[in-house]
Amino acid sequence: MPTTSTNSLPIEAIGLQRTFGTGDEQVKAVDGVDLQIQQGEIFGFLGPNGAGKSTTVRMLTTLLRPTGGIGRVAGFDVVEQANDVRRNIGVALQDAAIDPLMTGSELLHLQAVLYGLPKSTHATKAGELLERVGLTAAGNRRVGTYSGGMRRRLDLALSLIHEPTVLFLDEPTTGLDPMSRISLWEEIRRLNNDGTTVMLTTQYLEEADQLTERIAIIDHGVIVRKGRPSELKAEVGSPTLFVSVDAAATEPATTLLAGFGELRPSPEGTLGVGLTDGPSAVSNVIRTLDDAGITVRNLELHEPSLDDVFAEATGYRLEGADA
Amino acid sequence: MTTAPTTTAGPAPRTRPELHQSNVAQTWAMSKRSILALWRQPALVVPSMIFPLFFAALGTASFSRATAIPGFPEVDSYLDFALAGAIVQGILFGSTVGATALATDIENGFFDRLLSSPSTRSGIIVGRMAGGMAYGFLQTVVFIAVLLPFGLTIKGGVPGVITMAIGGTVLALAVGALMSAMAIRTGSSEAVQGAFPLLFIALFFSSAFFPRETMSGIYARLADINPISYLVEGFRDLTIEGFTWSAAFRAVVIPAILAVLTVTLSLRTLKRRLGAR
Repeated sequence: MPTTSTNSLPIEAIGLQRTFGTGDEQVKAVDGVDLQIQQGEIFGFLGPNGAGKSTTVRMLTTLLRPTGGIGRVAGFDVVEQANDVRRNIGVALQDAAIDPLMTGSELLHLQAVLYGLPKSTHATKAGELLERVGLTAAGNRRVGTYSGGMRRRLDLALSLIHEPTVLFLDEPTTGLDPMSRISLWEEIRRLNNDGTTVMLTTQYLEEADQLTERIAIIDHGVIVRKGRPSELKAEVGSPTLFVSVDAAATEPATTLLAGFGELRPSPEGTLGVGLTDGPSAVSNVIRTLDDAGITVRNLELHEPSLDDVFAEATGYRLEGADA
Repeated sequence: MTTAPTTTAGPAPRTRPELHQSNVAQTWAMSKRSILALWRQPALVVPSMIFPLFFAALGTASFSRATAIPGFPEVDSYLDFALAGAIVQGILFGSTVGATALATDIENGFFDRLLSSPSTRSGIIVGRMAGGMAYGFLQTVVFIAVLLPFGLTIKGGVPGVITMAIGGTVLALAVGALMSAMAIRTGSSEAVQGAFPLLFIALFFSSAFFPRETMSGIYARLADINPISYLVEGFRDLTIEGFTWSAAFRAVVIPAILAVLTVTLSLRTLKRRLGAR
C-alpha cells in the first residue's frame, strides 16, 4: 500500500472537472474546482442546489470519476489510488443511506468487515461507536424503526468505524430538529479535536458559520468565494448599526448618523446606518448622539451575515438562512 | 478574496488501526446480509414459495388426463411432470426479489456507502446474488419435500434430488445475475419488477408446462430454441426417468453456462456504471 506523504494535504483538488452527456447536451457540472483543505480543518462547502457540490464530493470520495483535473485525498489520487483513498476516508452522504432491514449493530459489524478491521475488535468497536452517538439502547433495533436524527447519528458512526483521517459529511443535519442538529455539531467538533479533517457540505449557513474555519461557495460548477467566514463577511461591506431614540429626536439623530456612513433600511422605530469605519465607530456614534443631547434607547450592531456573502456570490438566498 | 492558508489548521491525525481487507470475508458478509433481508421480508418471499406449488396442484387437478396425450412422457402422475416447471417458475420469481433489493440499495444510496468502502466491487454483487442462490436451493428442496406426500416420485432418487438442488442454486445465480445487471443499469426497483413478466413469458414459451413433443407451430419453434426448455427437461428427466449423466448435465451445466454469461454481464454493467458516473 502506498504511504501518504507527510506534507500532503488531506483534501486537494486542482482544476477538478466533471462533464455529463456529449455534444450539444454536454453539461459541465464541475468546471475546474481548486481546493486546498488543511490538516485538522473543518471546511464548509456551500452552494445552491445543482451548483456542483455533490458532484465535487462524489469525485473526491471516489464515487464518480473526474473528466478532468486532479483530486487527491489523504495524499492519494482519487482515480489511480481509489482504494487507498477509500481506506482513509469516512463518508456520510445525503439522506443517511442505511439499510432499514438491519439493526444498527449489524450494520456496524458489516462496515467493520468491509474495512478489514480485525474480527476480535468488531464487537468492542461497534459498542463504542453506538455509545458515542447515543444509540446503545437502540443498537439491536432495526434501522427502519429509527427517527431521522437516530439514522443520521448511526450514519456518522458507520463512517467512523475505521477511524478515518478525513471525513466527508454531505448535508449531515438536513431535516433534523434543532436539538439533534446541535448534538451532531458537538460530535463533529469532538472528531475534529481528535485530528479528523472534515469537509462539510451544507445548506445551512448558520451551520457553516458555527462549525467551519473556512468555506468555499460553488456556483455553476465554479468556486465563486473562498476564505474564512469573517473575512468573507467583511468583504461584503460594513456592519449595520440600528439605533432607537425618542420619536422627537429622530430627525436630528438621522442627520448625525448620516455622518458615519450610508443610511440603511431599518425596522420601525429604529434608525439604521452602515458604519464605514466598522464596529470601532460604535463608541463615536454614542458619544456624538450624547453630545447632541439625544438619549439612546437601544443599540444593535449587525455584522454582514454569511447569507449576505452567499447572496452576493450566487444571487440566491437560501431558505431559512439566518447567519 | 482570501487564498488557501499556508499553515496546518488543526491537530495532527491519529494513529489508526491496521486494516486487512479480505475478499472472502467481505463477500460472505454481503451474502449474510442478503440472506437476512430475505428472512426479514416474508411477504416478498412467500409468494415465490406458494404460487409454484399452487400452479403444480392446479395443473395436477386439471391436466391429469393430459398425460394420455400422444407425445406426453410416461408418468405416474402429472405432479411428477409438473415438478420441474414449478422449481424453475419459483426460482424465476425468487430471483427478482434479490435484484429488486439491489436496485433499492442503489435508489436509497446504500450502494454508494458500500462503494465508498474499500470492498471489492464484485464482492458487493456476488454477495447479493449469494442470497438468491441460498434461496434457490431452499426453494428446490421445499418444493420436493412438500410435493412428496402428494404422490410425487423422483426416479432419480437421492442423487437426482441433490443434482436438482445444485441446478436450482445455479439457476438462481443465473437469473439473479441477469436481473441484477438490469438493476445496476437502471438503478430502479420498478424497472426490475417490470421486467419480471418477460421472464414469465420466456417460461411459458418453454416446455415448463407441456412437453415439446405435444407442441406445434411457432410455439414449438420458440420452445425448441429456448434454453429454459432444456434445463427444465434435465430436471424432469431426473424426476420421471431416473438419474442419468445427460439429465444431470442439462440440469446443472445449462444454468451454469447461463450464469457465466449473466454474471459477466452484471459485472460489466457495474464497471460501466462506475466508469460512466
